[in-house]
Amino acid sequence: MKSCAKLVFQTSALLLVLVALQPVIFASVDDAQSFALQAAEPYVKQGFQVREDYWGGDLGSGEKKAVRQQLFKGNEYWFWLGTEVDKAKVSVHVYDSDGKLAEEPDGWEKGHFAGAHVIPKATGSYFIIVSVEESPEDRTHWALVYGFR
Amino acid sequence: MIPFTRYLKLGVGVLCGLALCAGAAQAPQHINIKQLATRVEDVVVPLPNEIFGALNKLGTVNWKQHVRSDKGPNFTERPRIALLLGTVIADGFIAVQAEDADAVKDIGQRVLALAKGIGVGNSITPHAKAIIEAADKRNWENVRRELDRTQNSVQQAMNEVHDEKLSQLVSLGGWLRGTEVLTSVVKEHFSSDGAELLHQPDLLSYFQTRLQAMPEFNLPIIRQIQDALVEVKPLIDVGDRRIPPESVKKVNEITTRLGHGIVTRD
Repeated sequence: MKSCAKLVFQTSALLLVLVALQPVIFASVDDAQSFALQAAEPYVKQGFQVREDYWGGDLGSGEKKAVRQQLFKGNEYWFWLGTEVDKAKVSVHVYDSDGKLAEEPDGWEKGHFAGAHVIPKATGSYFIIVSVEESPEDRTHWALVYGFR
Repeated sequence: MIPFTRYLKLGVGVLCGLALCAGAAQAPQHINIKQLATRVEDVVVPLPNEIFGALNKLGTVNWKQHVRSDKGPNFTERPRIALLLGTVIADGFIAVQAEDADAVKDIGQRVLALAKGIGVGNSITPHAKAIIEAADKRNWENVRRELDRTQNSVQQAMNEVHDEKLSQLVSLGGWLRGTEVLTSVVKEHFSSDGAELLHQPDLLSYFQTRLQAMPEFNLPIIRQIQDALVEVKPLIDVGDRRIPPESVKKVNEITTRLGHGIVTRD
């Protein structure tokens, strides 16, 4: 009986700890996506269609990831990067298939959000380079969404 | 002894690497894509309406002539259903361009039936309803969004049950139908800018690689698509050169033939 009470106490304590740590343990790429979509919101009013699909993962401070994407001349694109890590600093930049910077000068970085604007000069493959510049976490979730008009 | 050119290459590599690692405030003007230390994600497959949007900017397109909402046959092979589902979603985007509410509603029903056929009907039901409701209200923006959500939900549901290959066939079906319509429009009113929209060599290579990894889908239509992509590749992989009208016509013939094969029984 005594051991049963002990087990209940231990399980309850474990559950309490889990509940307390929930935001840390279960923070995910989905949270990062919510931030990326938040960054995209103002642009929807300007007529940008935001894709439902998104790309994400986790990176350490100073690490980068490239996403290859087909862009079409005639369209205008914005890429938005987000992370749920409050004090992280992220960036996103777009290069053409020759490695030349292909974005407009109005891209921005605001803490855990960043945006890059592209009006492709040619139809073809482009590289979207996402980066976690600084972060208090070992690994930082990121999510990239894009919109076009 | 290391030759000077090797030193030069190493130096350029190091400089490019340093430039890539530089602060976020100022992005480097140039990076060496081939020396990107980071892993490059697979190419992202665009939605058909991205191409249609670019086409619209080149001039008026008679979208009504491309609307297709016939029910077609029912297949039992899951790869065939997945391909067909991709083409039907693309047909939905065409019907939106044409602002054809009846066609959109038929397509919404068809999408639901096909999704059920590959076991992902539950995740599609709300989207199919939303498509039909939005079409009734002629709210084209919402229809477009729901079609995008439909494709995304279908693919997520497939990925969750490790049916990634079927998910890739949905994308392929949509891409083929989009390319068929793109080439049909550009063939009728040729322009270099219109033809340039076909310049998608990395996407084509992506689909070729994915198909090669599907030996278990031993179906005539899959083999026909594989052979056709080999034919299409040199027509659109032209580097900085322009894509001529003959190539557009040829790609249209190939994709029309494949489109017919996808919607009809063997």
